[in-house]
Amino acid sequence: MNPAPATSLAVNARGLVKRYGDVLAVDGLDLQIPAGQFFGLLGPNGSGKTSTIHMLATLIRPSGGSASVFEHDVMEDAVKTRASIGLVFQESALDRTLSVGENLRFAGLLYNLPVHVIEERSAGLLELFGLADKRHRPVGSLSGGMRRALDIVRGVIHHPRILFLDEPTIGLDLPNRRKIWRFIEDLRARTGMTVLLTTHYLEEADTCDKVAFIRNGKLVSSGTPKEMIARLGRYIVEIESSELETLAKQLAPSLGLCLRDGNVAQFRYADEDLTPIASLQSQYGTHIRALRWRRPNLNDVFLWIAEGKAG
Amino acid sequence: MTHWKPVYAVLEREVVRMFRQRTRLVSAMVRPLIWLFVIGAGFGTVLQEAGGLSYQHFLVPGVLGMTMLFGAMLAALTMVYDKESGVMRMLVMAPFAHYWIVIAKMLSAALAALLQAVLLVALLAMLRYVDSGTRFALLALALLMTSAACAGIGMLVAAFTRTLDNFAAIMNFVIFPVFFLSGSLYPVNRLPAALKSVALMNPYTYGVDLLKHSVLGALPSGMGADFAISTDVVVLAGFTGAALLIASWRFSRESAYEPMIRILSGKRDA
Repeated sequence: MNPAPATSLAVNARGLVKRYGDVLAVDGLDLQIPAGQFFGLLGPNGSGKTSTIHMLATLIRPSGGSASVFEHDVMEDAVKTRASIGLVFQESALDRTLSVGENLRFAGLLYNLPVHVIEERSAGLLELFGLADKRHRPVGSLSGGMRRALDIVRGVIHHPRILFLDEPTIGLDLPNRRKIWRFIEDLRARTGMTVLLTTHYLEEADTCDKVAFIRNGKLVSSGTPKEMIARLGRYIVEIESSELETLAKQLAPSLGLCLRDGNVAQFRYADEDLTPIASLQSQYGTHIRALRWRRPNLNDVFLWIAEGKAG
Repeated sequence: MTHWKPVYAVLEREVVRMFRQRTRLVSAMVRPLIWLFVIGAGFGTVLQEAGGLSYQHFLVPGVLGMTMLFGAMLAALTMVYDKESGVMRMLVMAPFAHYWIVIAKMLSAALAALLQAVLLVALLAMLRYVDSGTRFALLALALLMTSAACAGIGMLVAAFTRTLDNFAAIMNFVIFPVFFLSGSLYPVNRLPAALKSVALMNPYTYGVDLLKHSVLGALPSGMGADFAISTDVVVLAGFTGAALLIASWRFSRESAYEPMIRILSGKRDA
């Protein structure tokens, strides 16, 4: 709750490595997250996101490199590191047999909080997360969305300086995902807490101050979402054709590499002037079944990076 | 640095859950009574009364011990269940060294066993199986130390068990042998040499023996306690301490711990 000076780093990882037998899950990752930032760590399944979060949270030991959270070394000073972290796992960390209030009491006591502080904070946070009237309900009877919200309340009851959200909205439907994000935004607005997020739903990372894409345990690219999207191009041009192979070859000199998905090829287009694109239809006639363009988004950045065609 | 508030949280959860799961509590009371009234009465008909002591009365320390053994084992094994549920995620993220989880869990298993045993003592007193001849201070000590030792057995098993899939195996290979190879059902001194030597290595034997001292006293017929009170106390304390150390060490080890975290996150590959 005490925002650190703007210059301090919430997370500082240098050359972080995690090896499971022969599998290199994290491969020399460098990651610096300034205090107060909303940071998105993005990447395909198995790219090393969760391993990275678990190393920063002291739950697994790095095989190499170093990392600190608010200047607490994750290996040397695991207990102090954990004290400054809130972690919301992919799966719920709640006791289904206890009520909402009892879960928060349990979580708060684990952080050595006095009972009256737990009571105060629970009341405030449950209000913020729309659970105020659920205090006495057993957790097992809550809906998936409410449980997730409670999981986040549980993760911040001790006022951590940084909150790790590992796929916080996985398995939730759209209205519940939106709700969770509104809660997190409110929480950030109120506390200025640093947040490190991993997610598959890239539109959720749009509001991040900064995002980093990792692939095969390595940092591929990072920047603000706007920068990342701008770096990709002004437009994504989609061409649908039954003869995509030959068409892609013919277009490569002017439009560059493409991403292919069935009969559709996607090209990046850097110019604001779309006349050359519009003229493709008349140029290639019936070879092009459909031609469309749109502004790129983070999903495109993700796809191009995942395919290794952009960085 | 001590962490009594988190330890208290774990204890409180155990007690709340115990009284909420009525069937667990009821079966903890019914199981020993079945032994006492069915098995005790049944065998009582074929066994001679020795030194004026009926077999049923002889079984009283044994069924008290049984309640603690089962109570502590079930509570300690929730450690394994918790690994697969959300609670362990809360515990491993909390700001204390992980051996505190073992301390808290072992204390809560001992507490669960103790509470069940106290309830059973009250029941047995109402049924007049525990009477004014009982040495109550010694009984209190015996209940405390036996609960703790049973919790120790439970934590050792929990520390070396990955999943609860093989709970039946734990029942067959741990709980039953520990119970049968003790003085619960028969005087240790009358066992055949091979079985006797196993019973002597079983820490639970000494808990039951301490219970015999308090409930039965030393009967001249050899139906009473088998060892000196001091022997029982030393063995129980030594075993409990050793179990706590070994379980803490096991649980602090990376190799035992990492697979658990990977299960927790639902990821096995990254």
